[in-house]
Amino acid sequence: MGGWKHPARGGRGRWAKMAAHLSYGRVNLNVLREAVRRELREFLDKCAGSKAIVWDEYLTGPFGLIAQYSLLKEHEVEKMFTLKGSRLPAADVKNIIFFVRPRLELMDIIAENVLSEDRRGPARDFHILFVPRRSLLCEQRLKDLGVLGSFIHREEYSLDLIPFDGDLLSMESEGAFKECYLESDQTSLYHAAKGLMTLQALYGTIPQIFGKGECARQVANMMIRMKREFTGSQNSVFPVFDNLLLLDRNVDLLTPLATQLTYEGLIDEIYGIQNSYVKLPPEKFAPKKQGDGGKDLPIEAKKLQLNSAEELYAEIRDKNFNAVGSVLSKKAKVISAAFEERHNAKTVGEIKQFVSQLPHMQAARGSLANHTSIAELIKDVTTSEDFFDKLTVEQEFMSGIDTDKTYGYEHILTLHNLEKAGLLRPQTGGRNNYPTIRKTLRLWMDDVNEQNPTDISYVYSGYAPLSVRLAQLLSRPGWRSIEEVLRILPGPHFEERQPLPTGLQKKRQPGENRVTLIFFLGGVTFAEIAALRFLSQLEDGGTEYVIATTKLMNGDSWIESLMERPF
Amino acid sequence: MDCYTANWNPLGDSAFYRKYELYSMDWDLKEELRDCLVAAAPYGGPIALLRNPWRKEKAASVRPVLDIYSASGMPLANLLWKSGPVVSLGWSAEEELLCVQEDGVVLVYGLHGDFRRHFSMGNEVLQNRVLDARIFHTEFGSGVAILTGAHRFTLSANVGDLKLRRMPEVPGLQTAPSCWTTLFQERVAHILLAVGPDLYLLDHATCSSVTLPGLAPGVSSFLQMAVSFTYRHLALFTDTGYIWMGTTSLKEKLCEFNCNIRAPPKQMVWCSRPRSKERAVVVAWERRLMVVGDAPESIQFVLDEDSYLVPELDGVRIFSRSTHEFLHEVPAASEEIFKIASMAPGALLLEAQKEYEKESQKADEYLREIQELGQLTQAVQQCIEAAGHEHRPDMQKSLLRAASFGKCFLDRFSSESFVRMCQDLRVLNAIRDYHIGIPLTYSQYKQLTIQVLLDRLVLRRLYPLAIQICEYLRLPEVQGVSRILAHWACYKVQQKDVSDEDVARAINQKLGDTPGVSYSDIAARAYGCGRTELAIKLLEYEPRSGEQVPLLLKMKRSKLALSKAIESGDTDLVFTVLLHLKNELNRGDFFMTLRNQPMALSLYRQFCKHQELETLKDLYNQDDNHQELGSFHIRASYASEERIEGRVAALQTAADAFYKAKNEFAAKATEDQMRLLRLQRRLEDELGGQFLDLSLHDTVTTLILGGHNKRAEQLARDFRIPDKRLWWLKLTALADLGDWEELEKFSKSKKSPIGYLPFVEICMKQHNKYEAKKYASRVGPEQKVKALLLVGDVAQAADVAIEHRNEAELSLVLSNCTGATDGATADKIQRARAQAQKK
Repeated sequence: MGGWKHPARGGRGRWAKMAAHLSYGRVNLNVLREAVRRELREFLDKCAGSKAIVWDEYLTGPFGLIAQYSLLKEHEVEKMFTLKGSRLPAADVKNIIFFVRPRLELMDIIAENVLSEDRRGPARDFHILFVPRRSLLCEQRLKDLGVLGSFIHREEYSLDLIPFDGDLLSMESEGAFKECYLESDQTSLYHAAKGLMTLQALYGTIPQIFGKGECARQVANMMIRMKREFTGSQNSVFPVFDNLLLLDRNVDLLTPLATQLTYEGLIDEIYGIQNSYVKLPPEKFAPKKQGDGGKDLPIEAKKLQLNSAEELYAEIRDKNFNAVGSVLSKKAKVISAAFEERHNAKTVGEIKQFVSQLPHMQAARGSLANHTSIAELIKDVTTSEDFFDKLTVEQEFMSGIDTDKTYGYEHILTLHNLEKAGLLRPQTGGRNNYPTIRKTLRLWMDDVNEQNPTDISYVYSGYAPLSVRLAQLLSRPGWRSIEEVLRILPGPHFEERQPLPTGLQKKRQPGENRVTLIFFLGGVTFAEIAALRFLSQLEDGGTEYVIATTKLMNGDSWIESLMERPF
Repeated sequence: MDCYTANWNPLGDSAFYRKYELYSMDWDLKEELRDCLVAAAPYGGPIALLRNPWRKEKAASVRPVLDIYSASGMPLANLLWKSGPVVSLGWSAEEELLCVQEDGVVLVYGLHGDFRRHFSMGNEVLQNRVLDARIFHTEFGSGVAILTGAHRFTLSANVGDLKLRRMPEVPGLQTAPSCWTTLFQERVAHILLAVGPDLYLLDHATCSSVTLPGLAPGVSSFLQMAVSFTYRHLALFTDTGYIWMGTTSLKEKLCEFNCNIRAPPKQMVWCSRPRSKERAVVVAWERRLMVVGDAPESIQFVLDEDSYLVPELDGVRIFSRSTHEFLHEVPAASEEIFKIASMAPGALLLEAQKEYEKESQKADEYLREIQELGQLTQAVQQCIEAAGHEHRPDMQKSLLRAASFGKCFLDRFSSESFVRMCQDLRVLNAIRDYHIGIPLTYSQYKQLTIQVLLDRLVLRRLYPLAIQICEYLRLPEVQGVSRILAHWACYKVQQKDVSDEDVARAINQKLGDTPGVSYSDIAARAYGCGRTELAIKLLEYEPRSGEQVPLLLKMKRSKLALSKAIESGDTDLVFTVLLHLKNELNRGDFFMTLRNQPMALSLYRQFCKHQELETLKDLYNQDDNHQELGSFHIRASYASEERIEGRVAALQTAADAFYKAKNEFAAKATEDQMRLLRLQRRLEDELGGQFLDLSLHDTVTTLILGGHNKRAEQLARDFRIPDKRLWWLKLTALADLGDWEELEKFSKSKKSPIGYLPFVEICMKQHNKYEAKKYASRVGPEQKVKALLLVGDVAQAADVAIEHRNEAELSLVLSNCTGATDGATADKIQRARAQAQKK
């Protein structure tokens, strides 16, 4: 299993096969997935008879993570369309259901669909499912457009936090950062708070809430308020989480801008991971054993799902890319040795046993081939001069060297956005606090062990992400030790307690780790996730992390979300 | 024991019926029951009497009085009837009184005589008047069936969701049916009616003639019909004095009985209990009550007074001016225990316990007898069950004592059923109390459920009792105490003689933060009573903004609604209030309101950005937000202006705004952009091609690529492009063009401000080693090694590095030494290194 340390406590079946990638962790996120699936089924069954779903295109990705087409089919979904203007495509179904985010512009399209419905055709029932929340504003718009009455069911589907992996939840809300920090629009914070309430309903009240940043404060306030609203239903679930840490992205604007150097981080930097899928150039994945037929290279991009259900990927995803090669070659030896075993299988029993392992071995071989190809693709990029230069500039930037860049006028609005978000600051003297922060939090580590890391800085080959360092210090020795730095960083830091009834108070076994839910408001990168996983697996770490975020992102997608081009 | 079974009357061989008193009635009726319209609700519900109804012989000058009593005769309401003539009264499942008027209007009253609403049974009914009407109960709610003067039926199966259904006509029907009833089969209501010797069944589409299987001949008319409580059984009384009993499917006869009385009975109702095999109907005449079933003999009672029958789930209630009684089949467990000379385990256990109390050793004998048969568990269960069916607390106690006694001798007997029975009986005894007057039997109570019972107590405003019961049964607060307190509060806000402050305080004191209490519901009730101020006070206690805000809007307290919405963080709610405010206030006031609420203002800005751009501008203007105004005009310049002049003008406005915002950088950049646009326009005119909207650099590059070097340099001067950058641009463009000649000329035009390494690099990028080498020689000493390596001259690079005695350069060259060809060079470096170390 390479150099990865294993958690000492056994019996968790962390690498258990099956598609149970959501249940390997300390917190079984399958419970959440099952809950949202149940809610979806219940809604579909409310609309009796055959149905067609009209999708707000943005939702299809996230929905794919909780319900495949087969589930929809079981509930008589016969057709799927993408939401667009004018008339709906013909479909011989009883129900038309719109799955949409509550946005005014989408309401206009829906109204257009409904109004241009052919009256001569068979009557169809319309329904709307708002994701994640019903909106009075949107319903008012539908009313103004004269179609509100056409909908039989108007409901909400509170899909706030979508389980991505055994320790990872995301709201996949693209605009969250911009809305929160640029436009003072708290909508996504409200959804985050709602999502946290849902989590608490399933996994118990989280007794302690820590936070840093303006948005974190607001989410905590909303949670406390919502708890008051729900006082009726005493939560009697034994708490799974010990702490919640709410972190504003704008406390650490630097980290996402650095190039991630973990395997998963690089895949994301170079090819972009969307809803756990990545599309790769097909050349390297050409079937090798096709013989004569293999002359045509596949033209379509190779689409792969990346999550910890894949044993090999789970092992290498969070490693520094420089440590991936050796694991892959070791793995290759192990696998070919396993295949060689067949020559040793003499008795029927031995052959039988070999055959029974075959599917698993073949899967492992396929997985190895895929990741070897991906690693080659990445290597082509990382060994290029450009990449090296970019990295050098970045690393110099971390130590405060000025860089001179020019922009065209088309970026004037973007520049203003970046300034508003705190990413850029006009050079106006003033104190530069970065050195203090860097020193106190040990953000730059000179001796990095990429192969067998001893510190989180391995994820950026030197730079330790500030956000994760804050989490690490919170767990040990506590934030009191870094009050000074916390005061320099933007936004308040705070602690709230949510009292538990005596029956639900946890008595920790000696040596049992605490579980912290860390919520990044405004996005998180795969490298930060890797760093947190590294902390989770430290023998003496004392804390395991489950990560939640408004969006999985990287520097490019993040800046992209802040860009505004007038032309 | 003898005296206990004294009121047991056998019907046939297998069943006993008993009648016992529930209450001696407290009411002081002046009239005879027969002079009133009477309606008594099932499940021990209230009794309504409409005295002095519209009888032809009486003068209509006296206004009739509507009285409502509890089952024990306690007055609940008394009002003068001021509406039209009433044909029929009935109670809904929610204990609302439905008064069916002759004109087909149904008036609905609460238990306390409070008018709730009214609805009409349709035009056809209005025109033909109501001849007769029935209120019936189904699993969906309460229905009304009407027989009109035109002998047609109209019904609604659920008055809560009024859908009128006009039933088909009975062909050739000229007279009113002699009797009729509603049936309920397969979730649909039907009507069965008798006309002379014929029976007709009406469903929603058809009228079919039906016959009763096994009906004795000679019937020329049916006088009464009765459907059982569960709609399973039907009984008909004929003019021959014959009673037919069968199933409502009309497929099966259960039994028949000839009572030899031909006078039409006043009432006929079924009397059977769930899961009993015995079927019996109770027939009442003026002075006679008869229980008949599948037995040759009937049970007869004399009625001293005018009486009224109320069918129940498990028996019949009979009330008169002075008493209220219950008639039912003796339940199996009671029969087993109390039947004379019974040897049932329960009977023995009861005996044993009595002997035990007398300190007699017979107790042991009885107990042994039960234990030897292994029937002790059964005995205990029997006693518990029988206790439930006893009306008198002393009998309940004695049976429970016996059960408790028996329990002691059982190892593994879960006491749950015993405890629950004790609790249930305690509740039942409390509500059967004369002052409360709800004479529920155990079976009825179980059927009704505790939740409905609590609702009924609330309906009677018996809040303290309801709360005591909740606490006693330890019901979850949300279902129990909270709900009742909320109801109490809703009642409280209707007390107009108490001030708003006092009501609000009283309610908050009692309710506090009790979970599950909806202050907004209470507030809505207060608002409904016209007490807006009270409603606002109450809403202060409401933690759920989603509930709070819409009501505040409804009460036209929009600004308060806005601050509540903002507090909640629910942006959708904020938007909703904002749009409301926008319509309600004039623009100035609206903007002022926004100014005081920054969060709302930023949300509204977002809204305007997508929906109302002009308003956005006004908002920025109001706030003197010149920076955003500048950005706004930039967007406008590109989004809405087609012509270049318009775009430049919009940019000018933007630049002015930036100056006001003291954003020199943006202002200058904008002015430059204007200049550039104008220039690009000129270039397009003069040179053709695409220039508009290219960046400055791209413009320069395009010019160079097009061979307009002079123009490019002019542009660079005009826009003060630093020399370094211009060189880069030119270098890149020329290399892209592959114009090596021009590049060389350019390189020699003057000393390169960016050195010559970029020339080498760019040539190599274009794979032109030949050209690259030309420049490599001109690269300054500090970059020389790198340049030589780039063009692949490892040997010379090594020489230079050795000459420089630079360790870093040496390593760089060494790392570039590959294969056999560079072996000599590598050796040379190693030697140089060694020498350097010696020194």
